[in-house]
Amino acid sequence: MIDRSLTVVPENGLHARPAARFVSTASQYDSVIEVSTEDGEPVDASSMLAVTGLNVRSGERVTLSVDGPDEDAAFEALEEILTTPEEE
Amino acid sequence: MTESDEERRLEGTGVTPAVGVGPVHWLAADLELPDPPDADAVDPSTERERVADARERALEALDREREATAERVGESEAEIFDAHAAFLTDPQLEDGIDEAIDDGLPAAHAVRAAFEDPIAQFEAMEGSMAERADDLRDVRDRLVRTLLGRESTGIPSGSVLLAERLTPSDTTGLDPDAVAGVATVTGGRTAHAAILARALGLPAVVGVGEELRELEAGTRVVVDGERGLVIVDPDPETRARAERERDLEPIAEPVETADDRPIEVAANVGGDDFAAAADRGADGIGLFRTEFLFLDREEPPTEDEQYEAYADALEAFPDGRVIVRTLDVGGDKPLPYREGAPERNPFLGARGIRVALGELSDLFETQLRAICRAAATEDGGDLAVMFPMIATIEELEEALARLEAAASEVAEEGVDRERPEVGVMIETPSAAFVADELAARVDFLSIGTNDLTQYVMAADRENERVANLQDPLHPAVLRAIDRTTSHGSDAWVGVCGELAGDPAVTELLIGLGVEELSMSPIAIPAVKRRVREIDSAEARALADRALEAETREDVRTLLDGE
Repeated sequence: MIDRSLTVVPENGLHARPAARFVSTASQYDSVIEVSTEDGEPVDASSMLAVTGLNVRSGERVTLSVDGPDEDAAFEALEEILTTPEEE
Repeated sequence: MTESDEERRLEGTGVTPAVGVGPVHWLAADLELPDPPDADAVDPSTERERVADARERALEALDREREATAERVGESEAEIFDAHAAFLTDPQLEDGIDEAIDDGLPAAHAVRAAFEDPIAQFEAMEGSMAERADDLRDVRDRLVRTLLGRESTGIPSGSVLLAERLTPSDTTGLDPDAVAGVATVTGGRTAHAAILARALGLPAVVGVGEELRELEAGTRVVVDGERGLVIVDPDPETRARAERERDLEPIAEPVETADDRPIEVAANVGGDDFAAAADRGADGIGLFRTEFLFLDREEPPTEDEQYEAYADALEAFPDGRVIVRTLDVGGDKPLPYREGAPERNPFLGARGIRVALGELSDLFETQLRAICRAAATEDGGDLAVMFPMIATIEELEEALARLEAAASEVAEEGVDRERPEVGVMIETPSAAFVADELAARVDFLSIGTNDLTQYVMAADRENERVANLQDPLHPAVLRAIDRTTSHGSDAWVGVCGELAGDPAVTELLIGLGVEELSMSPIAIPAVKRRVREIDSAEARALADRALEAETREDVRTLLDGE
């Protein structure tokens, strides 16, 4: 189980495009993946509704917890999305 | 353009420099569903299969539209559809639909029910999150349409599409050759649909408000996506003008009068639509309103941000000139992060260069540094800088000293020293009266006819009670323009007010000695054509007669007679 806090880099936070990338990536792994804001409840990382509903802005910290057979790969892939600026 | 009694003008936010004309067609935004049958009459397993099947087909359609958008518009716009795909396969929404079906609802009703709360939640959130609600509605309607077998919306060719709001899928599904334009009740310039409409070159006005709802199917309208207007029941003159603007092919190269006098035809730009201006055949940017960089935000833009914006503009006109007007705020255009004391007459108060040299001095310095840096870049055209609202020589000299200081500062930091062309806006009667002294100190003068008219006539632009006085063709305004052009030094004179974009006035302005005209991009093709027909000597004769006119009616009669 990986449980780590990250700062969200994409300019638009975890909204439309980065969120879609995040959600579709999370759905590709078998691990149970949850994401939460600093003082919020963890939500299902494979739900677009739940992820965009967190209303995470750029510069905000989120906690990513990944638990399952492919947790390392999943964490790495999601970490990259959360920490790479969005290219236009 | 004058307004007749019959036509009505609804104002919204223009998102495209293009006009469309046609009868109104309403896009049925909320697909009406009949009342659901009794719960017993619904077989949950059949309904679940129908939803699963519809979801598959909707995903395939999304995929096709994504590809088409990537090709027609761009990859980053196409990614909007990825968000929609993610919503379509969202486990929470899937569960919600299943639950509604278990409660006895048929597929389409279940979809509606499952989306209700999430849409309401996003709607209640501030800022751009409301756009997620639009995305959700879009996904919901797509699923419902697919379930009902109504994938195509059947818009009559040549109509102007009206909608409560426009979703990205609505917009990309539109054929720009078949749809004359679009207008919406709600929505802003930065909504996805607006971005897509702009990319497709579709005339579009968004956020018109409740009045739009009153328009019945078949009503004739002009959608002016440049000026942000929906003109209802346009009179023949308005329609003809709109059709001319719609049909004219842009002239890419610079133009000259019939007797070979070059006239620069440039664009007024208030956002980042430099490419759109270039597409309409602009020789350059005659008025870059930098306010848009400063307004609608919580912090002023950084020097780097401004530098990027100016460099982008220069890059769009590799062979042209970009005239950057320094910060023109205050009074009527307050900055959210600066609170000034309310003024009794904001138009006669702390505006333009007055606040730039005073309370906004630090912002002004940052802007001048960004301008000097952009002027030194190798790529793109020539940058020029222009000061707004100048009323006295002292103000100009102070502004020039600040510019010089900024240039020295960035030069010390290693930026090549490039002296940009410098100009002042002639907007106040005082500036027109001392035009010769101003012209002796700068490279150009640019007449802002809207403000100049307001101040010459002492008639507030926003006060409808004095609207009859706000006529830039009043002989008093024309004499102020003449005073500005007859300054006797080398500085060239341009016009960047609304008057510059009216082809009916082009000859008069050229006759008055104007060498550059800067306007809404949409008007450029018509004005360039007009320039080519004009003979300078005849234009001068026309101007002389206009300057002798006693009333604005006399001036209009004179122009009509030509």
